[in-house]
Amino acid sequence: MTALAAALALLPALGAGMFMGLAVKGALDAIARQPEASGKITSALLIGLALVESIAIYSLIIALILASKA
Amino acid sequence: MSIPNIVGLGVSAFFAVLCVALRFALKPEDAKKKKRKNRLTLVGTVIFAWYFVGTLLNILSGRSGITLALDGFEMFSDRVDVFGLSVARTTVVVYAVVAVCAVFALIFRFVLAPRFDADSPSGIQNITEYAIEAVDKFVRGTVGDSLGENLTAYIFALAVYIMGSALTELFGQRAPTSDLLVTFSMALITFFLLNYYGIKKKKLSGRLKALASPSPVIFPMRVLSDCAVPVSLACRLFGNMLGGLIVMDLLKGSLGGYSAGVSAAAGLYFNIAHPLIQTYVFIVLTLTFINEAAE
Repeated sequence: MTALAAALALLPALGAGMFMGLAVKGALDAIARQPEASGKITSALLIGLALVESIAIYSLIIALILASKA
Repeated sequence: MSIPNIVGLGVSAFFAVLCVALRFALKPEDAKKKKRKNRLTLVGTVIFAWYFVGTLLNILSGRSGITLALDGFEMFSDRVDVFGLSVARTTVVVYAVVAVCAVFALIFRFVLAPRFDADSPSGIQNITEYAIEAVDKFVRGTVGDSLGENLTAYIFALAVYIMGSALTELFGQRAPTSDLLVTFSMALITFFLLNYYGIKKKKLSGRLKALASPSPVIFPMRVLSDCAVPVSLACRLFGNMLGGLIVMDLLKGSLGGYSAGVSAAAGLYFNIAHPLIQTYVFIVLTLTFINEAAE
């Protein structure tokens, strides 16, 4: 049962992955439109990706805690 | 030593030798055909040599090929005995990293730096100046000139520390950054600096006023979100490094002898590029939070 719970705890990674893809798409669109602003866009994108990624990381940590207790 | 292993050894050795022989024996006239032949025989040699080495390692170490199992994974590192004290292995590694960095810094300061020539820089001086200038420009660009002066030194040390810790994985040690306590200590320093610069720049009353800025109702929320900063920073770095560690462990553990070149190739990303990205993210977030508090 704990293994199942650990697997379920990884579900947020799905959402995080999907919407990280969306964020990259938006950034690429913006760079294609304004190539000269690519530096600023990239740093903003990286901060945003780090924040979104943290959700996936939290779920990974929770899954690991559940899995290592089992 | 089983029969499939021996057959595999023989067949892969035969094909590897065949590929090498073909490379030297065939001499096509066409330049395009020659290029294609060279590429094909090179790929063939690498693949069969890899299979040969993997099978040989499996036979020598008595492992049974691909197992797809991660044996004995622990969330926290194992503990070692240091003068009768039970200490986490990562803590010992962290002290080693700090010692190496300190020795290097001392050598740098007292042996190399006096020899630097301001008029005609060369060699290591160029590299140093480039690195420090890049970090300085980056820090000043994020938090402004008033805080940049002192923060640059801390940020540079932080970058060296995180990268140095991550690189210990290349020496077969568990990286200290994949220990929650190590990352949490760094995140606590960020939390301290955030409050220090916030109070230094705006005084205590200004800082409290900024926390309650749109309306006093939001004050507990803002305090809570400030307290979440070290937790989120620590968990992010820890989770990322642990993820890399698990992937590398899985590769080495499940492929057995066949991980011979694979883990080296994967390590380029998981042990070098990935820690670099995470260092960058940690630094950017630290500077962003400090800037937010001091503004």
